[in-house]
Amino acid sequence: MTTTTEIASKEAARARRNYSFLFALTLLGILVLLCVVLTIATPNFLTERNIPNLLRQGSMIAILALGETFVIITAGIDLSVGAIAGFATVVIAMLIQAGVPVWLSIFITLLVGLGIGVFHAFGITKMGLPPFIITLATLTSLRGIGLLMTNGATISITDKGFTDFATLDFLGIPSLFWMVIMVAVPGYIFLSLTRWGRYLFAVGSNPESARLSGVRVQLVIYIAYSLSAVCAAFVGVLLATRIGIGNATQANGWELQAIASSVIGGTSLFGAIGSVHGPLIGAFILATINNGANLLNINSFWQQIITGGLIIVIVFFDQLRRRSR
Amino acid sequence: MSISDAASGGRAVGGERKDGPILELRGLAKNYGPVQALKPANLAFNYDEIHAIVGENGAGKSTLIKLLTGVIRRTAGEVFWNGKAVALDTPQEAIDHGINAVHQEVVLCRHLSVAANIFLGDEKVKYGLMQKREMTREAQRILNDMGFNLPAGAELGSLTIGQQQLVATARASLRGTKFLIFDEPTAYLTRQEAAQLFALIRRLRDSGVTIVYISHRLEEVFELADRVTVLRDGNLVGTRNIKDTNENELVALMINRSIEQIYHKETVPFGEVLLETRGLSGKGFEDVSLTVRRGEIVGLYGLIGAGRSEFAMSIFGRNPKTSGEILWKGQPVDIRKERQAIRLGIAMAPESRRDQGLNLNLSIGFNINLPIYDRLTHGITISAREEAEHADRQIKDLAIKTPSRRSLASSMSGGNQQKIVIGKWLNHGADLFIFDEPTVGVDVGTKAEIYRLLAELLKKGAGIILISSYLPEVYELADTLHVFRGGRLTGSNAFHAASHEQVLAEAIGV
Repeated sequence: MTTTTEIASKEAARARRNYSFLFALTLLGILVLLCVVLTIATPNFLTERNIPNLLRQGSMIAILALGETFVIITAGIDLSVGAIAGFATVVIAMLIQAGVPVWLSIFITLLVGLGIGVFHAFGITKMGLPPFIITLATLTSLRGIGLLMTNGATISITDKGFTDFATLDFLGIPSLFWMVIMVAVPGYIFLSLTRWGRYLFAVGSNPESARLSGVRVQLVIYIAYSLSAVCAAFVGVLLATRIGIGNATQANGWELQAIASSVIGGTSLFGAIGSVHGPLIGAFILATINNGANLLNINSFWQQIITGGLIIVIVFFDQLRRRSR
Repeated sequence: MSISDAASGGRAVGGERKDGPILELRGLAKNYGPVQALKPANLAFNYDEIHAIVGENGAGKSTLIKLLTGVIRRTAGEVFWNGKAVALDTPQEAIDHGINAVHQEVVLCRHLSVAANIFLGDEKVKYGLMQKREMTREAQRILNDMGFNLPAGAELGSLTIGQQQLVATARASLRGTKFLIFDEPTAYLTRQEAAQLFALIRRLRDSGVTIVYISHRLEEVFELADRVTVLRDGNLVGTRNIKDTNENELVALMINRSIEQIYHKETVPFGEVLLETRGLSGKGFEDVSLTVRRGEIVGLYGLIGAGRSEFAMSIFGRNPKTSGEILWKGQPVDIRKERQAIRLGIAMAPESRRDQGLNLNLSIGFNINLPIYDRLTHGITISAREEAEHADRQIKDLAIKTPSRRSLASSMSGGNQQKIVIGKWLNHGADLFIFDEPTVGVDVGTKAEIYRLLAELLKKGAGIILISSYLPEVYELADTLHVFRGGRLTGSNAFHAASHEQVLAEAIGV
């Protein structure tokens, strides 16, 4: 068998390289196809108003999905990212309304995010809680804490410079999309070019082997959950600039959209498989579907069904390909 | 239902017994694309025999098993079952005929009880409800009948691997099985467990079941088998009656190399003391004092669960010691973490490649470089060129048979996987290498390569702790052989100072 498995693995190695490339290409193809179909189907799609709007919609989920991907690569899950984003809108709104400079408010909000991520990792590594449980717990409690802090009210942000940010363009591209690039480039360097990126994969593949190879497994867990939570807090900041308010009930259900984007982008929930471009493309596929459905006046219930179907189809074909190797 | 019932019942299902062979292969072959995994083979299995199949990894043994159990389809040739041509297209068809297999890795449900596993897929049901108590009672009867001292009501996961293997065997031998294939069943068994298994295999044979027994351990073949068939590179190179052959002939057939060349021992003058433990105790072992010098192989022999791996893991910082002292190059050290051990210059190739040694779904290159990614980092990024160089060098030096460092570790055979684990630490470098069961599931050729590698390490001034449950291995290789029993050192012998029997007695405690 050795010779055969090894010949097979030679093909597999080549196939795998081509495969991850092909998979990314296929995802891009689906995105382009969606756009072409929508351009033909409705005159309102390819317009100067709609495309920036679509980019803004997709951007926030894309950043959430990217952070989530770091966690999923370690074979974990972060259910709290939507709640963190909602909570972050409250934190930054209160800070800005209290007269704290905007840059400092953003910095503090990101620190709060970091704190939440560190807490998650603490619960996982020191208290031995499953990631699903600890992040589910923060999901519900953060919403509660945010509502308590504001007494259930919504805080309007009156700083014009802050709330205008989301509407700005740079080189004809919406500022929010630039934020995706700003996160994705270091994200790519981190995941693909540094040893810590490698360690994420190692821990997701086999934590015991990683540990016996001298990898600081607990530290890697801290890094993954911190990155995810900071990304989520950052999304909260962006959301606050877009809607101009702070309210802990915002970004409801975004954690599932983030996970869906990541999975559509080829991340394996079993860990050790994932990329930076995958979740980004995944997020924009979802955003395009929602946007197109709105333009076509399709009932929003259908959007949810289509999203669900798409997840099944894409992941199924991905699994099929992986299994056939 | 006792085993003898099962066997005779099975025989009735399969029709009358004929004079010819129970299973016959004529020109059976399997190609994967252009590769011939099994070249046209003619072979007959008789009634009531234990037929051993030996060969190196990649010789075509697994292909043959998969063909016979219907897991893969043949490319050419015919299979005759009781004289009738059969297709063997699906695993179910094979089972329906009475062909069954017990695999090396236990594939049962760990969270169910032993009884539930034995009856899995064939549960006793009354009014649509499972008769749990009755099944447990029945299973207990079957186990007692087979002479296994196992509780039918216990959760499978609470048993040792060896006991689980016995359960798997009990399961496979029920339901009219007439042709039972064992794929390296003793790889993880202790000596007593293996003895129990052998007794069962003989009883099955005597009750009319044909046994095919695949093993790397030739002495087992001689202990158990009636006939033996040797495979090499997909060729069936010969079948012998066990009475008419010997180990040397079989090894020669398997690898074209004599047995003396396998255990390659180099005598290197001992250097400074690298490691000394004084009364070291921890989880699973107590009061262990020993030393390892440069140029020395220290063998740790004992039954599985005797505390050898736990001792090694404690030195490596995985389970810190509870009392006693560790001296590293003469200095007392307190090793609390793996990283600390690695920094001192200790490397560990752990017992289980699958669970501890490898990141299976990542590439070979990734695995080899995992301990040294900090060294490959310049500034903030990893040098892709150095990463490739380091991986390729180990692949070349160790002759890991892979087309590319990008192939997944899981696509490699056992021997090559072991080489990846070793390569990972050669890549990193160390003064003291701990090898825990380095040759389990590894073919003879690769074993010889690994032994030669140990000699190379000694010549470069390293010290080695070699843990093995395979006595000839530690006996022939270790300069000092320590024996563990129940977590304690029960004997320490210089090279060849004690006989096999003495060492075994120290390990078993008779």
